[in-house]
Amino acid sequence: MHNTLTRVQNVFGFFTSVAFAVAAAIAISVVLSSQTPSASLQLRNVQVVKGRPHYYSTKREEYAHITFSLDADLSTLFNWNTKQVFAYITASYPSDSPASIPESEAVVWDAVIPAKNAPEHHNTYIHPTKSTARPKTKKERLSLNKAYPPGKEPGILKLDKQKPKYQITDVSGKIAERNNATLTLHWNVQPWVGALVWDNRRTVGRWQGLKGGEAAFEFPPLKATEAKKEDLKTATGKEKNRGSPA
Amino acid sequence: MADAIIEKARELFEGQIVCFSIHACAATAFLVGYITSNVYWTLYVGLGGTVITFLIVVPPWPIYNENPVQWLPAKGRGSADYDIVVDGQRVTS
Repeated sequence: MHNTLTRVQNVFGFFTSVAFAVAAAIAISVVLSSQTPSASLQLRNVQVVKGRPHYYSTKREEYAHITFSLDADLSTLFNWNTKQVFAYITASYPSDSPASIPESEAVVWDAVIPAKNAPEHHNTYIHPTKSTARPKTKKERLSLNKAYPPGKEPGILKLDKQKPKYQITDVSGKIAERNNATLTLHWNVQPWVGALVWDNRRTVGRWQGLKGGEAAFEFPPLKATEAKKEDLKTATGKEKNRGSPA
Repeated sequence: MADAIIEKARELFEGQIVCFSIHACAATAFLVGYITSNVYWTLYVGLGGTVITFLIVVPPWPIYNENPVQWLPAKGRGSADYDIVVDGQRVTS
């Protein structure tokens, strides 16, 4: 440690190594916290209609519009190392030849649920509320703009007759009358530091596996009569970045 | 004799200031964050401790120069111990 530059280099080099070690310690400390996620998912309605991928396309494909009800408690997934939880619901069904072709899985709905101390960004999920009355106090107004119902904490989802965010189709364009389909809730815990973790159905140490959160259904035949336009709308929540289908 | 031992101990101690300081900073940062369940506190305490360590170690504080090492006197110029020869000509050192 003979001149200033040497000292600066040594201290900074040591600092980066120690910072890495602290980050590793934070990531591993999450294993000690307990998680008890629970969910109950029900299918409300499925409609299959003919549609186009976009306005000017010539091919006509079948699209399934799946409405569901979800009652989930993912609040225990939020520990001090959680930045946000990405919750999503997929519809998966087997292919025509299960021996050689794996099953298809399409996302029907998703939500970005940030932790309370995560910084604001425009794509955050905004939990829908039943009451449409205008908020009277500032507290009420702020509580309506959150990713969780008013008075609860991040990770609680209470959705009834929720419209999907995306209408799904099969690669072949035909999704009507497919059987053995399942609607499943998944999540992805995105930490401040450390590895990404997806949903687990088995109990590992203090992390309970998820029970429930699945619903079996079957795709109905193509709708013969004209479906009402309001029935086929996708979820247009108040979050800014809704993408083109919404 | 005692002076020499104390001198050695002080050298060892000052060499470890950096180690100890940053280790302590990291440990407190982790604990503060864990206890308050807020990663931001870990970051603030960690960075603050690092800045303090930089301030302790990098600037040449006068305290560190109070007991300088006594170097041997430099060899006088033009001594006859050795010759420096460049292109066949003797050049004084």
